[in-house]
Amino acid sequence: MKAKRIEISLAKYLMLFLNWVTVVAVTGFILVTTNNIRDSYIARDFIDGVEAIPWKPEAIFAACVLLMGALSLSFVMRDIVHFKDGRLEAGSLFFDFAVSIGIVYLLNFNYNGILLWVFANVIFYTKNSSGQFLFMLLGVFSFVGTDYGLASVNYSLYDIQDYIEYYNVGQQSYILGIYNVLTSLNMALFIIFCVFVIQEQRGTIQQVNELYEELQRANEKLQKYAAMKEKMGQTKERNRLAREIHDTLGHTLTGISAGIDACIATIDIAPDKTKNQLEVISGVTREGIQEVRRSVSRLRPDALERLSLEYAIQKMVEDNNALTDTKVSFECQVQPLRFCEDEENAIYRVIQESLTNAMRHGKATRVDIRMWRKDGDVRLTIQDNGIGCAKIQPGFGTEHIRERIALLNGTVTFDGSHGFLVDATIPIRWGEEYD
Amino acid sequence: MVSGKKWQVIVWAFLAAFFLLAVGLGRRSGDTVLEFGMFAGSNWGVANADSCVIIDKAIEKFEKAHPGVRIHYYSGIPKEDYSEWLARKILNGETPDVFMALSNDFDKLVSLEALANLDAWMSQDPDFDGEAFFQTALASGRRNGQQYALPYETVPTLMFVNKTLLNQEGFGVPDSDWDWEQLLRICKRITKDTDGDGRVDQFGVYNYGWAEAAYSNGGRLFDENGTQCYIHSEQVAQAVRYANELSDLNQGQKVMQEDFDGGHVAFMPLSFAEYRTYKTYPYKIKKYSAFQWDCITFPAGPQGDNISQVDSLLIGISSHSHKKRLAWEFLKTLTYDEEIQMEIFRHSQGVSALRAVTGSGRMEEILRRDMEASDRVIDRKLLSAVIENGMDMPRFARYGEALALAEGEILKIYEEEKNVDSSLKIVQRAINHFLTQ
Repeated sequence: MKAKRIEISLAKYLMLFLNWVTVVAVTGFILVTTNNIRDSYIARDFIDGVEAIPWKPEAIFAACVLLMGALSLSFVMRDIVHFKDGRLEAGSLFFDFAVSIGIVYLLNFNYNGILLWVFANVIFYTKNSSGQFLFMLLGVFSFVGTDYGLASVNYSLYDIQDYIEYYNVGQQSYILGIYNVLTSLNMALFIIFCVFVIQEQRGTIQQVNELYEELQRANEKLQKYAAMKEKMGQTKERNRLAREIHDTLGHTLTGISAGIDACIATIDIAPDKTKNQLEVISGVTREGIQEVRRSVSRLRPDALERLSLEYAIQKMVEDNNALTDTKVSFECQVQPLRFCEDEENAIYRVIQESLTNAMRHGKATRVDIRMWRKDGDVRLTIQDNGIGCAKIQPGFGTEHIRERIALLNGTVTFDGSHGFLVDATIPIRWGEEYD
Repeated sequence: MVSGKKWQVIVWAFLAAFFLLAVGLGRRSGDTVLEFGMFAGSNWGVANADSCVIIDKAIEKFEKAHPGVRIHYYSGIPKEDYSEWLARKILNGETPDVFMALSNDFDKLVSLEALANLDAWMSQDPDFDGEAFFQTALASGRRNGQQYALPYETVPTLMFVNKTLLNQEGFGVPDSDWDWEQLLRICKRITKDTDGDGRVDQFGVYNYGWAEAAYSNGGRLFDENGTQCYIHSEQVAQAVRYANELSDLNQGQKVMQEDFDGGHVAFMPLSFAEYRTYKTYPYKIKKYSAFQWDCITFPAGPQGDNISQVDSLLIGISSHSHKKRLAWEFLKTLTYDEEIQMEIFRHSQGVSALRAVTGSGRMEEILRRDMEASDRVIDRKLLSAVIENGMDMPRFARYGEALALAEGEILKIYEEEKNVDSSLKIVQRAINHFLTQ
């Protein structure tokens, strides 16, 4: 990309240099030849053979150099100083156009390649602007309109050919050769310049396409990753349940089975001892039940076992208000508050976790819980007036909340700037409501 | 690092300085000097010692009327070098503000746009009236219907008459309204072998050919732009036949200048400038002293009048002059000022192109002063009429070549005794082809 820019710049500088050479060569040649004609005393014969003559060759030479200087200056301002204002840039292009028309006029249309230079600048600077078309049209018309052959039909113009013919045949072919090489080289440079600009434009389009593809790939990766994360969450929960069952029920049942085996062995020999053993087993079993209950209660809140979600939350709020200094309010606009079990569980647990966090980390004295329905989702906000936190750090219990909501394909945000705010949106499967 | 804004200001300031410099160079201040391009000597091929006197008087008068303005001219450029000198000046872009335009150059000067169009100046100047000029002379400065130069001096062609020879043969000097018939009759009587050596040695005309006859027969050879030849017209064909008749009288003898100088030829076309030169001292003694002579008009053809060719010296203004108003004033002083124009009769051999000057009694007085009492001074009315009705000399660049071509072809018609009418048709086609090449 960078290399192409340098090539374009090089082509532009070369074109400017070549135009300098050509304009100076043409005007200088006419000046020198005029002096030769004068010195060899054939002026009368010379003017007999020409249609027109340039007025004051020295003045034309000087004026052309002056105008080329102005053109170069305008180029330097555009290319090196840079115009911040687009209108100034367009103005400078118009200025170039006017100056080059002036040069072409002074040269009596013997060389109009300078217009290609202006044209190249127009292409370069108006690549993406709306004025490009107008500029191009102006360029094409002016280039065609300033052709010597065309212009000499209507006006009597001096012809560089007449000046070349002053020299002998051998010299003529040299001079004509140089003149043609200069004009053709300028044309060739212009074409090369255009090719570079086109290539650069095509390069930009390719780059944009590549970036787009990369973005697409990253997006797909992200989606895969999200799916994996969900699966991992489920596995984790399953493992937890397995461990819970293994730790509590497994352990108790193993004990019971061993105890009963012992009882079977002793029941005939020592019935009393067996009776005692059975009582122990009974205790262990009860303990086991207790344990299982505790385990299950860890999975499913106690209150929810017996009550509807609304009452369960109500009870949690009342218990909290009775036992602690933190005042909790609950406002629910969703009626009836009945969802699937996993949804109720998640909501209850989120509120419970948030209340714990508000008191433990936030030292809050007031917590407002609100629930309402929005576009088929349920919005749940828990706002406390605690100290909050500038940055949400993991391990504050927020991970659990996020996990639970994620299992329901919901979203949750946390804001610790004014107290602490938990804002969850949970998509509810309304159709599967049960009563 | 200079900020972008500051840069812009600096660069624009540079640009402005550039253009101020350019404008300043264009109009350098100083003395107002008007360049005048002229050649020394006479335009009419005769010796002239005081060619600069009239110009100097005009300059003096102009500089007095326009204080602070100076006229500058290069003295001593001979007429034969003037064309080259002017071409060099034009090539350099240093065309004088006011300059003389030779007949052969005029067409090129117009096409190169070296001469300014004077129409606007002429119509807007309340002191100027084109009617004051002889229209033939004024028209010689016109091209494509536009005036590019004004006549400074004009010269008609007259018919030289050897009075002594005519009297000897029993003729008087013909009247000014004489015709071809009379000329032929005189020539028939005069052309003879006087010394009996079997060769004709006394002739009627010298240098009088079909072209001169054509003018006096209402004919024209070319159009003003030199793109058309009219050699096949009835008037010209008649003139060609007439000229053939005259030359047949000589029985194949070629008339030479010596025959004329020796007093053996009765008629010869002569420019007014030559007339004036050889009528006055010291040239009077050198040439034509063996006989008495005078000048009259050309004989009229059956379809024409007593007219002949008129040549004018033109002066114009450079189209690139920055001082066109002053240049116009100076041009007027040279060509339109009666006092200056009267000087032409005193110091030059031409005729003023102003009607009032050439038609004045003072003109006759000046001419008489230079002549002997016995000589008849050319009548002012006759002179005016010859110029007014004269045929303007063509001024296109290839006139000389085209005329030479025509003369060669017509000579061939005489020599090979071809049919004049059909041959002229072919010649006209050939010359037209040459002119449009």
